[in-house]
Amino acid sequence: MNEERDSQLSAMFDGELPGAECELLARRLTRDEALRAQWSRFSMIGAALRSERGVALHDRVAWRVQSQVAQDPTYGDGSFDTATTSTHTAVVAPASVKATPRWARFARPVAGASIAAGVAAMSIMWLRTDSGPDPMLASNPVTETIVLAPEATGTTVALNETPAAEPVPSNGEPDVYVTPVPSSSTSIAPPARLANYVVAHSEYSSPLSRRMALLGLVATDPESTAPAEPNADAAAGAADAP
Amino acid sequence: MLRDLKLRNSSCAPSQTKKAQRKNVARIAAFTLLMSTGVAFSAEPKEWLARMNKALTTQNYVGVFTHVHGGRVETLRIIHRVRGGDVSERLLSLDGSGREFIREGNELVCYFPDRREVLVERRAPDGPLLGALPSIDEDNSLVYEIRGGERQRLLGRDTRVVALQPRDQYRYGYRLWIDEKTSMPLKTQLCNQAGEVIEQIVFSTIDLPERISDSMFKPQVDASTYRWFRADRRVAASSRPALWDAMRLPPGFRIATRSSQSMPGSSEPVEHLVYTDGIASVSVFVEPRKPDSKPSEGPSRVGSSSAFSTVVDGHQVTAVGEVPPTTVELIAKQVKASKSPAPPAGAMGLAPQRK
Repeated sequence: MNEERDSQLSAMFDGELPGAECELLARRLTRDEALRAQWSRFSMIGAALRSERGVALHDRVAWRVQSQVAQDPTYGDGSFDTATTSTHTAVVAPASVKATPRWARFARPVAGASIAAGVAAMSIMWLRTDSGPDPMLASNPVTETIVLAPEATGTTVALNETPAAEPVPSNGEPDVYVTPVPSSSTSIAPPARLANYVVAHSEYSSPLSRRMALLGLVATDPESTAPAEPNADAAAGAADAP
Repeated sequence: MLRDLKLRNSSCAPSQTKKAQRKNVARIAAFTLLMSTGVAFSAEPKEWLARMNKALTTQNYVGVFTHVHGGRVETLRIIHRVRGGDVSERLLSLDGSGREFIREGNELVCYFPDRREVLVERRAPDGPLLGALPSIDEDNSLVYEIRGGERQRLLGRDTRVVALQPRDQYRYGYRLWIDEKTSMPLKTQLCNQAGEVIEQIVFSTIDLPERISDSMFKPQVDASTYRWFRADRRVAASSRPALWDAMRLPPGFRIATRSSQSMPGSSEPVEHLVYTDGIASVSVFVEPRKPDSKPSEGPSRVGSSSAFSTVVDGHQVTAVGEVPPTTVELIAKQVKASKSPAPPAGAMGLAPQRK
């Protein structure tokens, strides 16, 4: 079963999985934690390899990818040559990683412009089928549409399955705010406070750096960063919205 | 652009055959024609950056992109609308946490479904328009080397590659693949001084719709049962003169704006100072330290943003920015209470700040 699943993921990554199967697998990805983890690993493997032609990953990322691949019996030989981590570019050295056929599938050079697509750009291509324009834009005239990597076929679909599957409430915002008023004993956890600072800072950043700042919050491990959390008193008394 | 540079260089070469000269004349004529028709082909790297900034802040766009940082790969959607000077933006994660940030008017609402919490940040009504600062100006060349402009195919599109290479260790650089036709950055890399990629964004699709309906700025989650955190409106922003400032700044940085604002979780107004070198920016937050709270001191990170906290005169001082850790540490340690809003310039090998 795992073999079949990996094979499907692999085919999807290569853009070789039929559209209908892609959609099914995409839906499953939204529910299956293990599958997502596997996909993430595939993305990283692809990323490391594509970086060979122009995308340099940070040393630590490169090391993690190489280490993970080398130690995974499915893809490597269980050994990892740390000497290969000295370069800035994440290149999985053939000498240090004994590739299996499946691994070789990711290791093979990707021809043409898709190499320059950069890390994991392909990881969303599989969500594209021939089912028409982005449903979110269906009612809006589009002056310009940039469809990158047209070889990936199709237009956007299933990128935002959740709202399609579930009715969206008015806007999710309660009519009345209940503001937590910190008492004198309030102690804001530093990471939570930091999240507030980053959000406030983003309002004064350039368009480029603002996005980077917010992305840091969107993608950051929830355990390490969160919005400001009031102390127990404030939370109990006022934080829960009606 | 590489071809153009070659053209200009070769036309200056002393030993050219007449045939080559004729060829060059033809090339120059073609190049001039392109320039006169306003085709983006002729733009310099700096102009490409200006166009990109304009595109990012004035155009409607809806895109899906992949974000890579610290070994994590995440797919996100961005929806950006400019209508009558009002900027609305929605940034949502399509996998992983499901977090999304929605900015409308002066309010930025951050949804954290994984924690069932919502954070609301309000910008001062008279604050600068998004994207109005920092900007790319003549001073940037002192701290960044702006180069590139060569054409490169990226995922089936013609792009111009522009690099902002930092001249010192106090800031990060950018490598941008700017779409020739729309000036949108299709790919963005954040790099350190050594040129190593720290963070990357690659778009897979971008639509530029004429109109984007309000419904596209609704969150995908029902947050009515979440805990909402927002600045206490009873904590009025103070209009008193600023008492805090950085005595010294890294080269190229200057004060951009300062305000005293309320923040979620704070019972006192927080002093917010913003410093910029034109590209990167650093915010410094100063708030009275609560006597029974544990002081926060030392470095921390959120994504590619660095932060450094310290305690000065009973106040918690935190510097945050998309800059290397050294920069926020240096700035945070230079923040002092001052009666005068214009601190004296000084040596220390660091540039004095400018108003």
